[in-house]
Amino acid sequence: MITALLIAVVVIGGSAGDVLITKGMKQVGEISTRRLLHFAGLARQVLTNRDFLLGVCCMAASFFAFLAVLSRADLSFVLPATSLSFVLATIGARLFLKERISGLRWMGTLLVCVGVALVSLP
Amino acid sequence: MSRMSIAVLPKEESLLAKTAIVLVLAMLSQAAGDVFLSKEMKAIASSAVSPFEMALLALLSPNIWLGTALLLIFFILFAVALSWADLSFVLPASAFGYVMNVACGYYFLGETVSRTRWAGATIISIGVVLVSRSGVRTVEAPGGQDVLEVIGRP
Repeated sequence: MITALLIAVVVIGGSAGDVLITKGMKQVGEISTRRLLHFAGLARQVLTNRDFLLGVCCMAASFFAFLAVLSRADLSFVLPATSLSFVLATIGARLFLKERISGLRWMGTLLVCVGVALVSLP
Repeated sequence: MSRMSIAVLPKEESLLAKTAIVLVLAMLSQAAGDVFLSKEMKAIASSAVSPFEMALLALLSPNIWLGTALLLIFFILFAVALSWADLSFVLPASAFGYVMNVACGYYFLGETVSRTRWAGATIISIGVVLVSRSGVRTVEAPGGQDVLEVIGRP
């Protein structure tokens, strides 16, 4: 039960982190070589972005839950289970970032999800 | 939306090329970082006697710092790509790193790779090809800047 809960934190935290970091980076705007010349300013813009920082916190929570779950379950069970985050993050991108997910992209994402689960098996 | 650019490639293709370059660099540093960390952590785990000593050895090991720095580079490049590309593009596309891991393990580290893992790597590759044909971004980038600067002329 606790294992399932921890895996949920890994998957949901990771996906929420991805969505928030994307939101933050979109607010910062497209990073070009010209902007890289003003690196300090750019770094400050990213590191003071609220959504970006929230995203990093979610990812940290996901990472610590991952470490915790590894002490209770096998990697060969945990890794395939976390491949679900590809699907969850895509749903999040559609709902919160208004990205349009075409049939082609859904098909590719589902194949990636299945493939990652298979690769993680022993 | 219509900006002057000295493009050699049509806009959509150049955006795909720019994204691909950044993501391949990201996946290479992730793969290298993983190798450094896992090799060094295994070495430390076999020599340390207590968790405290293990943590201390890890903090003092240059390879651990190098591996961590490489993973940080991975994260920065990942975030850079997300500054213009869809999350629903970047995330499945960067799963190609798993394929690189399997291939590297087979060719460089002489690992035996099970049929299941080969099948998984093949399915991921097909998925990544499909995603890569679905367009890099479907939302308007707010801070629209010249997308050709990375691969175009200075």
